[in-house]
Amino acid sequence: MEVIASVNKLRLKFPGAESLLFKDFSLSIRKGEKVLIVGSSGSGKSTLLQVLTGLIPSSVEVPMKVENIKIPLSWGFVFQDPESQFCMPYVDEEIAFVLENLQIPHDQMPSYISYYLKQVGLSFDDMHTKTQILSGGMKQRLAIAAVLALESDVLFLDEPTAMLDPEGTEEVWNTIKEVGEDKTLVIVEHKINHVVDFVDRVIILSDNGEIVADGSKQEVFEQYKHVLIDQGIWYPDAWKDYLLANGKPRPQSTGWDSNSAITLTDFTGFRGKNKKIEIKNVDVFPGEWITVLGKNGAGKSTLLHAMMDLIKTKGVYTIFGQDAKKINKLSDYAAFVFQNPEFQFVTNSVYDEVAFTLRLEKWNLDKVSNKVEELLEFYFLKNHEHSHPYQLSMGQKRRLSVAAATVKGQPILLLDEPTFGQDAKNTFAILEQIEYLRSQGTIVIMVTHDLNIVEHFSTRVWVIDQGELTIDCSSSEYTKGMHKVVG
Amino acid sequence: MQLDFSFRETWLHKINPSFKFILIVALFIHILFIHNINIIINYMIGTAILYILFTGHPWKRLLIISIPFILIFLTSSTSMIFFGKGEVTWFKWGLIHITEEGFFRGLHLGFRGLVFATLGIIFALTTRPVYLFYSLMQQLKLKPKYAYSFMAAVRLIPIMFEELQTIRYALKVRGVQSQKGILGFYHLLKSYSIPMLSQSIRRAHRIAVAMEAKRFSDTTKRTYYYLVGFSKLDVYLLIYFVVVIGTSYYFANSYSYFPIQDVRYNN
Amino acid sequence: MGRALKLTDILVTIIIALIFGLVYKLWGPLYGFVSVFGLHAEQLIYGMWFIAATVAYLIIRKPGVALLAEVAAAHGEFIFGGEWGVTTLIFGLGQGLAAELVFAAVRYKKFDMFTVSLAAIASAGASILIDFYYGYIGDLALWNLLLLIGIRCVGAVLIAGIFAYFIVQALEKTKVTNLIRPVSSNDYKDLDK
Ligand SMILES: Nc1ncnc2c1ncn2[C@@H]1O[C@H](COP(=O)(O)OP(=O)(O)OP(=O)(O)O)[C@@H](O)[C@H]1O
Ligand SMILES: Nc1ncnc2c1ncn2[C@@H]1O[C@H](COP(=O)(O)OP(=O)(O)OP(=O)(O)O)[C@@H](O)[C@H]1O
Ligand SMILES: [Mg+2]
Ligand SMILES: [Mg+2]
Repeated sequence: MEVIASVNKLRLKFPGAESLLFKDFSLSIRKGEKVLIVGSSGSGKSTLLQVLTGLIPSSVEVPMKVENIKIPLSWGFVFQDPESQFCMPYVDEEIAFVLENLQIPHDQMPSYISYYLKQVGLSFDDMHTKTQILSGGMKQRLAIAAVLALESDVLFLDEPTAMLDPEGTEEVWNTIKEVGEDKTLVIVEHKINHVVDFVDRVIILSDNGEIVADGSKQEVFEQYKHVLIDQGIWYPDAWKDYLLANGKPRPQSTGWDSNSAITLTDFTGFRGKNKKIEIKNVDVFPGEWITVLGKNGAGKSTLLHAMMDLIKTKGVYTIFGQDAKKINKLSDYAAFVFQNPEFQFVTNSVYDEVAFTLRLEKWNLDKVSNKVEELLEFYFLKNHEHSHPYQLSMGQKRRLSVAAATVKGQPILLLDEPTFGQDAKNTFAILEQIEYLRSQGTIVIMVTHDLNIVEHFSTRVWVIDQGELTIDCSSSEYTKGMHKVVG
Repeated sequence: MQLDFSFRETWLHKINPSFKFILIVALFIHILFIHNINIIINYMIGTAILYILFTGHPWKRLLIISIPFILIFLTSSTSMIFFGKGEVTWFKWGLIHITEEGFFRGLHLGFRGLVFATLGIIFALTTRPVYLFYSLMQQLKLKPKYAYSFMAAVRLIPIMFEELQTIRYALKVRGVQSQKGILGFYHLLKSYSIPMLSQSIRRAHRIAVAMEAKRFSDTTKRTYYYLVGFSKLDVYLLIYFVVVIGTSYYFANSYSYFPIQDVRYNN
Repeated sequence: MGRALKLTDILVTIIIALIFGLVYKLWGPLYGFVSVFGLHAEQLIYGMWFIAATVAYLIIRKPGVALLAEVAAAHGEFIFGGEWGVTTLIFGLGQGLAAELVFAAVRYKKFDMFTVSLAAIASAGASILIDFYYGYIGDLALWNLLLLIGIRCVGAVLIAGIFAYFIVQALEKTKVTNLIRPVSSNDYKDLDK
């Protein structure tokens, strides 16, 4: 079949990087194929998509050389980061921008706009809504709508659902499946469960930017399973195998101080003047791992922000018996990981970022460097210690933000989706690290959409719905209920 | 943060932005050729009426906005009043030399500054940037490359204020506490301004990439989501200024405030 | 590697310009306040109105950005409701052109403090030229006029020259400049290793 996109002998190296990311890399994609590209975090997947669309080097200048390159005539791109892909301030204008580029007549625009919004399951009372106030998940759906509006033959998708709730993920993939029927799809994704059933070709990218497997999905998942395990990449049975290998029982939170460490009573958090989160009454005990579940826009991040005293709050909030509002430096008690890892960074290098808190604490130099090296090693960031945090891949940023937040070992950990965009090995590494801290008595409050974590790591579940805590139960109860619903 | 605040839409909001812009530039050029202080004063009254009655903003806000006007008046006039050249000395003390000519030249500059300021603020208060740039593209053939860059950048401004908040959150979460004194202030300023600038640049860069990924191009033709056209109101505004200018000249000749026709030194 | 302005360059220039446009707007009342002290003390801070051009040039290092930045900043000040209205645009155009000419004279190859200070002085010169017609400053007493010119130039060098240079140095540490500046030919050579 006709080749629609290809590179031949691609060489690419980021300025200042130690080695080439791609060395004589070749790949071609034929018309109508549904290709899934997997690889560990930092292997160059996002970069590859940008090369295949010509964004590198035409929009982003990166030194590269290629013997032959074929860029599809008409393509659409959904980026990994929802924040940075909007060109206009309002929802309707964002899609209209694409329509304008395609010279759709003025009077047809409104109907097109509502059509595309509906396709991704977004509805607004007024389409003229600011994109800024959408939740992370809603933003990503809007981004997909804008790309659908391009009506192109080839779609490049770079982890389009990393931040969506399970329902949204399902919906978006269904949408993509539908609209992608007669299109060529090139998908980069870590969590492949939803994708597997409609791709027909799988490519595995190794850590050093080489194709280590390329074939039909049956072929790859059966014959190359060892490669997937080796590289620490997700595959359909990854969780099962991990649990088998580790024989892991569900953690118990008993055996700790029975005094509650955190108490929230009639606790409310505000964004501007609007009440966005309300907690009637909860007590949290040392050694608990609470997963916070809820739809996109439910108020999970807002809850964590409120607990970190970043937004205006009312009500009772005590930490170890003290009024949280009177605590001068809350960061001595609680570590925080933002949903967007970039919000975390305050220094100019990966190394400094991890060392930052320790230096504030006036640790001595040797101790700092030992600790930092240890963590960077653990999170596979050692090769990037001199990079700027912003130059990392998405998954690397995420890991860095977790490393930087957990380095000091505060008794409370507030984590906003710390495992999104990770490959299998890093997900388990992060979870094990958190589990270790928890087993030492740390309280973990973690927002996630991953139900495997609920089932196998956490001890307690909070479900947030429209700004209210609606379910508060142990994980086993929650999973039991879940199975009932499913079964 | 919300930068736009509520107001009542008036006919001035519905004027074609490009037309409004050109009209103001034309008035500006015309005013530069006026050297008669009496005309300027009448002109000022004409624009002030527009500002007070037709911008659609509550009068309290209008009042607050006009506070700096006093400063404009002062900065534009004082040097000339105290140090301007002239024949008829009113007052002399050390370096200060107030002459009749210098005094009126200073007043003239002050009033003229006020007219420019009022015209500018009327424009700012009654024009939505998005419409302005759509109009500039449609009527004045501004290249989309520049217009969309401007619109994207204008959109980034409120986000920049959010950025400040994000930086504040980050510093708080990471346990940075501000120091006291001048040095502390310097650190504070630096730890906000540099990240904010660099973040804005990064954002701008990403948006540019996203725009190109959405097939934005300067070379192909494009359609517009907002069509900005002309209306009768544009004619009304034109007539308004024709009348203002006409009466300014008429009254300046028949009922002048000051017996000065030209404030320049050599005439 | 071409030196023509790409969309990225334009957007980045304009965002820098608008940030300074906001500063320009805030500078207005401050300028008015300082001028109460008399004897052109305010001229010392006049240099802030030239800074967009030099900062943008130092960051992006391409032909045209100094002019674009200064005009865009003036336009920003105008649409934010700056006290001088349209006047700002004329000054912005003149100041931007003057700075651009200096950068053209060094063929866009020098990015040191001296070059930007020269550009700052050029901008100051342009603003003074416009003031001759616009502000009748030729009608000031000679000593007073010279004082104004002198202080304005010193302020220009301090703010739009030296201060601008340090801002960009601080920005370079955040590696953001790597994003927009042309990649060096050495980095291309590395590809053949
Ligand atoms: N601007 C840059 N400067 C220097 N190095 C970079 C830059 N962008 C990316 N890199 C490096 O290139 C490598 C590949 O990055 P890329 O974003 O393509 O990874 P990825 O496979 O998409 O990872 P992830 O799954 O985490 O998103 C990473 O090691 C990253 O640190
Ligand atoms: N900075 C903000 N200003 C105003 N409203 C906001 C802001 N951030 C979020 N909101 C609103 O608050 C509500 C809760 O948002 P929040 O980000 O807490 O959702 P979430 O549960 O974390 O969703 P997601 O899974 O998408 O991250 C949403 O309605 C959102 O529109
Ligand atoms: Mg990636
Ligand atoms: Mg969230």
